[in-house]
Amino acid sequence: MSKELRFLIVDDFSTMRRIVRNLLKESGYADADEAEDGVAALQKLRNSNFDFVVSDINMPNMNGFQLLAEIKKDDKLKHLPVLMVTAEARKEDIVMAAQQGAAGYIVKPFTKATLEDKVNHILTKAGLK
Amino acid sequence: MSTPAVDVHQQIGALTRQLHDSLNGLGLTEKVKDWAGELPDAKSRLSYIARLTGEAAEKVLNQVDQAKVHQAHIATQVQQVGELLAKDAPSAIARGDIAKHLSEMEQSGRKLDEHLTEIMMAQDFHDLTGQVIAKVVNLAASMEEQLIQLLIQTAPPDAVTNAPAPHAAYVPALNGPVVDSAGNPDVVTDQSQVDDLLASLGF
Repeated sequence: MSKELRFLIVDDFSTMRRIVRNLLKESGYADADEAEDGVAALQKLRNSNFDFVVSDINMPNMNGFQLLAEIKKDDKLKHLPVLMVTAEARKEDIVMAAQQGAAGYIVKPFTKATLEDKVNHILTKAGLK
Repeated sequence: MSTPAVDVHQQIGALTRQLHDSLNGLGLTEKVKDWAGELPDAKSRLSYIARLTGEAAEKVLNQVDQAKVHQAHIATQVQQVGELLAKDAPSAIARGDIAKHLSEMEQSGRKLDEHLTEIMMAQDFHDLTGQVIAKVVNLAASMEEQLIQLLIQTAPPDAVTNAPAPHAAYVPALNGPVVDSAGNPDVVTDQSQVDDLLASLGF
């Protein structure tokens, strides 16, 4: 049996973390942890093993762009796929996320099908599924 | 003798002039101009909040209505299965009646789960409106802070004012949800536009 993939959900709103966590569980990804901002996320990523990051952008302390940059410059973390799930709908933000190495970008509000499709697509592309 | 209405009018005029002079003297005129520009934006943000919360409530109530239909169907099926088993269990099983009811229950259970997922998804308004509320609160806090400064600096010397120190509220550094995307070519309005944009970049 293959190893269960571990997700880290980063969002400053606990409601949204619960929604994403439940949706991932319904899609067959039950192993997930949560962080309320980029600082907490980075700490968890450096102290534990994860396979996938789902991150908001607009957060206090360290936003999603800063978190993405930290992940991509860390040799131990840079392989991690990072899916941005955010209310930031400006084209320049989407382009910036792509240029910084985000694996995908979802604009809130989103549907269960959208999250499931993006996660599965990214996992397949990364050879994790 | 002047009428009370004219007196009130003159007093308001005097107060307005005094306020105008004070704002100019304190260099707050530009700040007030900024507020004037931000207030319509705050108004549209509050409209966005009202719309989103209204839609979420409507969606939840609709989903609950539909879920209740399936729940009632399951309850009926359970009752009928009970009656069939009590009457003549072996025949009911042999005829396939029990299997038929179980299949219907399974289908209704799946529909019920879909409605529960939709109810959960409707709660995303909390995140979206929360970000917008933070921006409006920041505008109100900024106005409050400046008005307190105005009061302090224009108060009579013997009126000692211990104005509370304004607390720093968290303000999202980025744009947050787009409250009005009409005619704005710089923003996307749905996920397909995000996907198209990323595809055009080779992602």
